[in-house]
Amino acid sequence: MFIEDLLVGVQGVTAELGQAAIFLSLLSALWAIFSLCIGLINRRLNFVRSGRNAVIATLILISIATCALIFGFVTDDFSMMYVVEVSSAAQPLLYKITALWGHMSGSLLFWLWLLTVAGGVVVLQNRRSQDSLADYALIPIAIVQLFFIVLVTGWIEGVYNPLARFPDGQIAVDGKGLNPLLQTPSMAFHPPTLYIGWISLTVPFAFAVAALLSGRIGSDWILRSRRWMLFSWIILTIGITLGGHWAYQELGWGGYWAWDPVENASFMPWLLGTAYLHSVMIQEKRSMLKLWNILLITLAFQFTLIGTFITRSGIITSVHAFAQSDMGGYFLGFILLSTLGVIALIVYRWERLRSENRLESLLSRESSFILNNWLLVGLTLIILWGTLWPIISEAIQGEKASVPESFFNQVVIIPGLILLFLTGAGPVISWKKITPNNFKRMFIPPIIVGLIATGIAWIYLAVRGILEIPNQLESSFFARLPEGLTFSGETFPIFSLLCVFASVFVLFAIGSEFYRGAKLRTKRQQTTFLNGLGLLINRNKRRYGGYIVHIGIVIVYIGIMGSKGYFLLESASLKLGESMGVGSYQLTMQDTFQEEHQNYFRAGVEFGVMKDGNQKTTMRPARHFYHKAGQGDQDTIESAIYGIGMNELYIALGPLPAKIDNDTDVNVQVYYNPLIRVVWIGVAIMVLGGLIAIAERSESTKSS
Amino acid sequence: MKQRRLKIFAASAILLVAMVFLVLAMTEKTSVLHFTPAELVANATENDKQNLQVDGVIAEGSSTWDAANFKLTFAVRDRESSDTVNVIYENRLKPDNFTDGGSVFVEGKYDAAKNRIVATKLTTKCASKYEGAESTSSKKGSS
Repeated sequence: MFIEDLLVGVQGVTAELGQAAIFLSLLSALWAIFSLCIGLINRRLNFVRSGRNAVIATLILISIATCALIFGFVTDDFSMMYVVEVSSAAQPLLYKITALWGHMSGSLLFWLWLLTVAGGVVVLQNRRSQDSLADYALIPIAIVQLFFIVLVTGWIEGVYNPLARFPDGQIAVDGKGLNPLLQTPSMAFHPPTLYIGWISLTVPFAFAVAALLSGRIGSDWILRSRRWMLFSWIILTIGITLGGHWAYQELGWGGYWAWDPVENASFMPWLLGTAYLHSVMIQEKRSMLKLWNILLITLAFQFTLIGTFITRSGIITSVHAFAQSDMGGYFLGFILLSTLGVIALIVYRWERLRSENRLESLLSRESSFILNNWLLVGLTLIILWGTLWPIISEAIQGEKASVPESFFNQVVIIPGLILLFLTGAGPVISWKKITPNNFKRMFIPPIIVGLIATGIAWIYLAVRGILEIPNQLESSFFARLPEGLTFSGETFPIFSLLCVFASVFVLFAIGSEFYRGAKLRTKRQQTTFLNGLGLLINRNKRRYGGYIVHIGIVIVYIGIMGSKGYFLLESASLKLGESMGVGSYQLTMQDTFQEEHQNYFRAGVEFGVMKDGNQKTTMRPARHFYHKAGQGDQDTIESAIYGIGMNELYIALGPLPAKIDNDTDVNVQVYYNPLIRVVWIGVAIMVLGGLIAIAERSESTKSS
Repeated sequence: MKQRRLKIFAASAILLVAMVFLVLAMTEKTSVLHFTPAELVANATENDKQNLQVDGVIAEGSSTWDAANFKLTFAVRDRESSDTVNVIYENRLKPDNFTDGGSVFVEGKYDAAKNRIVATKLTTKCASKYEGAESTSSKKGSS
């Protein structure tokens, strides 16, 4: 009893404590900006120190507010509006905590908290440094923090303070509960992963602004923020993949990517970040592209905001019926103002942004990097165009229209394949200008191997009879030429073959780089080949980590080619005992089952999977019924997945009655997804390569 | 020196023009018009046999799901008026969150004579559960 009373007592003040912390953080962020500016302009170290402390204070205050909200979730404080919105008493503890980012207000607070953590880490990393660059970087970080603090205060119409209680003092009996679709592990971790990726992108941007503010436009700001950028890139890679994996497992449409505005919003900063990771190398090696790098990182940062703006303001997905909030305009205002600020600084520092070198040849590593940048930025703009088409078309044609998935599939494929080729060509082409010798040694062998592989793939497709592409759906990715470009009315898998060629070319070119380097080390150190390979990677983690990322990319492409281009789909309505086929597999609905779980009820059917008359396995697709209090009346698809080598069989069920008997018609949708596991493996290799690259300490810390 | 810059400029220009051309051509080819049920009903004959999108809510009591034939039929109603358009969706799973009064986004081919869309894509959002609720409670909060 005592503990319960205490709990109620504490509940009575935590929300207010959190709100107070948010209002105080407004002051600390303002003070950080003010005192850092004064300190850096007048070279007053005590002001700079005070500014750093204010950044730490903001971190502590926002941590208090976040903890107060989590406390509200864990203790089921249903006097708080946000807790009622996304949590319920029956919700498992994990999902009570992840409910923190289940909705807008809470996710903004979470975003802000991560941003204050980033600020705190920048302070701690540089507390002993004599160098003021990081102090300059704290100014933009604090400004972005201030923007988000204002958002969570509840002053903006339509976005309430996540710690607010119901104004009339009412207490709800139970919460509405987190959307059941979000109650899966990959959805619990997908949003925070993306947030962490987006927020760590703020730091390199802040260093770019710091470079402009301080006038030190050299490579310092890039080196100082290099690991932040890589960290952001790795986390975004993981986050985007988790989202695709969630969609694949939960949504029942057998795919992992549909060019949905939300997906695009997460993908665009990743593309720009990838472009930036490459272009900074040219600035380091050849002192070119200074202006471009600053613009690129600014754009990447702005796209993290644009992504939030697109997905949260309701301007795009007209499926959202919710009332307009002022948040969209507020975001747009901040995006415009901060962009103008950076442009003003660029004009101010114009003289120092000149390149010290010029491009010497169209065929050189520099120009391959520049082409890579062009394509990545171009892809971003294309995706933005497609995502914003509903608005653009309304503005120029007066009619609201939108483009389907096939638009994206068809426009990204050519730039995408050139990029794939560049992942192999970039690392082996020489700096400044290609030489005949370089071409002969580095390009001819991989091209020959690539051509041989393409020939084999062509024969394989012909023998299997899938030169004309099987899947009936609108997705023609890799499989078909764009309509109107077909040979004599027939479809021909030219993109698949180009993808095979480029993939093998890249694998061979990069593989030879590893082989040559490792052989050299093996000889010099008198050791085994594997040891030599380890030494090679260890001595230049950045370079070889990067190459490993490239290998991962190629593998992802192969997986996308197989799963997007050659999947099979069959639908049927089955009764118990009936069967259907997909490819060479025979599925028989042989049993039904029902299970009671903590906050849902699981019902489904069991399929026997046969191939050539042999029973392979059983698969148990189901539906989850969330009928408990506060869960609404929802049921969700729970697909069953069976791996066959790198391919997967995937079954999803249509609506089911709670009790399935012999006469029940069950709607079944079965996919055969070739090479889909290759996608996940490729991403894992990309992440591994990124981790190797990030392990290298940057030169500036080494030399100091 | 000058020639090299010209070459670089020309190469970039070609790349840019090609990309812009590709994007515009694809937009033109794939773009589908977007309607509310009221707009579509008012301009039915002009849009006969066209691929288009309709955005509205699932009319209460209109949906029937024929499990044996794997067929979902319902009417999508305008948010502001009583105009409806019929929808038929076959051989695909009924999406999660498909409830009366919920928001629905339909893509498919329109048949003016039957005032019906043969849908190729259905997207649902449970309006009451999503941000709509949030914005109503926020009005309370700001008062």
